[in-house]
Formats: sequence, structure tokens, C-alpha cells
Amino acid sequence: MYTDVFGAWVAVFLTLAIFSYLYKDNPFYKLAEHVYVGVSAAHWATIAFWNQVRPNLFGRLWPHADPETLTGFNVFWYKLYKGLNWISDTVFPENGIPGNQEQSFMYLIALILGIFMLMRLFPSIGWISRWSLAYVVGMAAGLRLYGYLSSDVLSQIQGTILPVWTGNLGDSINNIVLIVGVVSGLFYFFFSVEHTGVFGKISRVGIYFLMITFGASFGFAVMGRISLLIGRLKDLIQFSGREYGYATFVLLIIMVVTILMTSRKDKEVAE
Amino acid sequence: MSSKFNTFLQNLDRLDRRIIFLIIGLVVLFPLLVPLNLPVEPTGLTRDAFEAIHNLPDDATVLISFEYGPSTKPEIHPMAVSVLRHFFARGYKVVVMCLWPDGLFMAREALDEVLNDERFHDLVYGVDYVNLGYRPGNEAVIKGITKSFAANFTVDSKQTDISLIPLMNDIRTVADVDFIFSLSAGYPGAIEWVLYASDPLQIPVSSGNASIQVNQLLPYVKSGQMKGVIAGMPGAAEYEALMVEYGLWNTRGEAAKSMDAQSIAHLVIVLFIILGNIAYYAKRKTQKKY
Repeated sequence: MYTDVFGAWVAVFLTLAIFSYLYKDNPFYKLAEHVYVGVSAAHWATIAFWNQVRPNLFGRLWPHADPETLTGFNVFWYKLYKGLNWISDTVFPENGIPGNQEQSFMYLIALILGIFMLMRLFPSIGWISRWSLAYVVGMAAGLRLYGYLSSDVLSQIQGTILPVWTGNLGDSINNIVLIVGVVSGLFYFFFSVEHTGVFGKISRVGIYFLMITFGASFGFAVMGRISLLIGRLKDLIQFSGREYGYATFVLLIIMVVTILMTSRKDKEVAE
Repeated sequence: MSSKFNTFLQNLDRLDRRIIFLIIGLVVLFPLLVPLNLPVEPTGLTRDAFEAIHNLPDDATVLISFEYGPSTKPEIHPMAVSVLRHFFARGYKVVVMCLWPDGLFMAREALDEVLNDERFHDLVYGVDYVNLGYRPGNEAVIKGITKSFAANFTVDSKQTDISLIPLMNDIRTVADVDFIFSLSAGYPGAIEWVLYASDPLQIPVSSGNASIQVNQLLPYVKSGQMKGVIAGMPGAAEYEALMVEYGLWNTRGEAAKSMDAQSIAHLVIVLFIILGNIAYYAKRKTQKKY
């Protein structure tokens, strides 16, 4: 119960602190901003380690194994693990990482590339991290090339080859608008020809289609922001009750008074 | 135009932005305190997504991926709750996974909320549904599960060995699921599911999205690569309305309640835009005069 109330007070404080920026930049906002960045990074790193690095990387290099069944290279390999176990038996429990993973030394490459990435922390040998980055960039480019070519290019072209008359007036108008929009938009993005004459007129139609698209995107963006505001206000309403110690009202008054007082002080200093 | 009105318009042009923030804040706050119960009419986009899910075979297995965090929770969480209710009400087997770290908490919260209902008390974890949790790697994870779930998810979100989960014994790759639903607020999200799982393996996919992403997804819906889309908070409210229409739920949900505030806020913003334009033209006219 007490943790719920404490959590509510923290949530209300951080929400109001972020909102306070709408009045002007102030220490409350700065504090909330720093807390947000720090907590996000720590949260991401912790979850990534426990959900991915530990089970999927360490778990494949040192899966749980009975010490008596170890043979050959694995005897040495698990002696190495004992060192890790000595460092932290929470992360590296005795006799390997629990789970049903199969041992695969291929994951040593991932481990080495991961260690290379951490070299960015040491400026003198930071260049080593470029090897890892090169792998990430190459892998991402290769992975995306096929996906985009197949789904974005070919399927979208296929989706644009539409009949101008379908037998239904509404559908036909829709198709015509789509075709005109795509063709004129493509004309606008064809920069190796001067946009004059008929070419210029068609590309101008393309600009109108682009403007409508941007307008729709802006409308959706506004809708999204209002939704977020609704979410925050709902929390503020919920935490303004007696069971949460009137957190919203108390913190709002404290912050408004503090900001107004500091503003007055700043004004006096400026004068 | 009277000079007084002209002066008013000129002053409007110089209006302090903080006053606009305050007005928007108040018009959003008011309907939350005093609900107006405005009607919600489902659109084709939401209906397509709903029917694609509703018409799956009775023994279907569905995959739902959580790709949002607290920042977009007001928009997407109501969809998550409604879609999960829909899956469980239809008796589908549900595999939950997350491509965003925060998605894990959102998934747990949505599952807790849905399973709290007595209609779903008989559902058994590991048999009727499973939460595989979060894996970093963005689209590489999607690409990975097209080859093998076990290679990417050795354990579930409770750190249970995946081979010990009965539901996962029948699901070797994502090709073994009948439908994918992505609750997406950006990258990686719905687009990546279309690109790396749905299109290559021909698995039907739909999505519930943050408003800001909807425009990017409409081409995929139009080309038939995606089965409808739940667009932002209005989409979530429409889905809730459809749940009531099909007799799967009986009350107005969180999104529908929030739509009053959303609608009023939009009206005020449109009003501000119109006033802003009138003020601009009035100012230009005055400047031309002198």
C-alpha cells in the first residue's frame, strides 16, 4: 500500500515536472528529464542483459552441465566459467546457465563483437568497435534489402496497378485518385528534368498530394499527443484522491509556488 | 470589419502560447471529469481488423507482439486489452512476445487485467497462453523466429525453459501461427512484421497503432498486405464498440471514455486554426492598407 502511494507521488511529481516546461525551463523539468534518460538507459540495459545476453549468449556458451560428464576441451572451458561464477554466482550460477540451450561455440563471435563494442568506452582503442558496427550495419542492410524490395517496392507497385473503372463509382474514384497521386508524386521527385511546362504542372499536382499527406500526418500526430495528454491527466485525476494523500493538489501547489518565487527572484536579479 | 474586432484579431495573433496550452489542458480535463458519452461509430479500417481476427478458425493460434511503452500507453493499451479479450473469448491459443523492453510490462499488465475476469479464470498458462517476454534485436528477432522460436526464446518471461511449455511444442516457427497482431508505436513494429514475417510466409497480420504511425501503414492495408488497422485512440474505442456489438463484452471501455476529451480537444484545435487564419488575413489586410 505504502509503495503504491509512494509510486503515485513520484508519478505525479514527474508528470507535473515535465508539464512545467510549458511555462518555462526550470529545475523541476531538468530533474525529470535527467531521471527519464538515466532510468530509461538503465532499464533497457538490465532487461536486455537478463533476457538476451544471459540466456541466449552465456547460456549457449556455458549451458548447465554435470561437471562429471564434461570431457575434452569442455573441462578447461568450464574451469574458465568457475572464474565467472566466483565473480558473481547470481549471473553465473554453479555448473552453467540454467535452461535447455545447446552448447554452440559460434556464439563466441557474438561475444567478441560485443566486447569490441564496449571498447568505445576507451578512446585510445575505440576504433576496435568499428568491426562490430560494420557487422551490425552489414547485417541490417542485408536484412532490410530483401524485405523492402519485396514488400515495399514490388508489393506496393502491384497495389498501385489498379483499374480506373471497377463497376462501382466510389471504388473507381478512389483508384483514380490513387493513380493520379502516385504518378504526379513521382513526377515531383524526378529532379533530373526541369519542372516547367506540362512536367511542372503535373509535379505541382504532386505537391498538393504531398501537402495533403503531410496534413493527414500532422492531424494524426496531434491526435496522438492529445491521447498522451489524456493519459497523463487521467493519472493526475486518479492520484488526486484521499487514498493517495491528495498527491496532485499538494505537489501542484508546491511546484507552482516554487516556480513563481524563483521567477520573481530571477526578475529582481535581472533588474 | 469594425476596428474593435480588427484589434481583437490582431491581439489574437500575439496570444501567449501558454494561454493556448492552458485552454487545451482545460478542455481535455473537463470531459474526463464530466463524461459526455459521445457515440462511437466503427470505421472500415477497425472493422476489417476485427473481422480478420473474429473469422479465424476456432483452434487458431495467434501471436501478439507488444511494441509500445508507457509513453503511448493511453492509445495502445486499451487496444491490447480488447484484442486479448477477443482472442480469449474466441478460444484461441495466444503467444505473447515483445520487441520493446517496456512492452514486457505492458504485456503483463494487459494480461493481468484481462485474466482478472472470471470468464477467463480457467485459462492455463503455458497451455492456453504464454508470455515469451522481450528479446532485443528488432527485426532480426522477427527474422529469427521465421526459422526457430527456440533459437531466439530459450526461456519465457518467467525464465521457464521453452521446451517445458506445452503450447510451444506445436509452434516451432512463426509459420505455425495463424495470425499475427502487432501493438506498435514505432520501430520495430507493424511494418517490420509485414516485411519479415507476414509477406515472406504469407501469414495474415493486423495491427493496433499509435496515431502518428497510421499514415505509414495505410499503404499496406490498401495493398492487402495488412488486414485493417486499429488507428490510435479512436480505433481502440471503435474496437471496444465492436466487442459490444458482437456480444463479446458488455461495457464501454477506457478508450471510449477518453474519446469525449479527444473529440472536444480536436474541436478546440480546429477552432484555433480557423481563428489563427482569420487573424493572419486581417493582419495582412491592415499591413496592405498602410
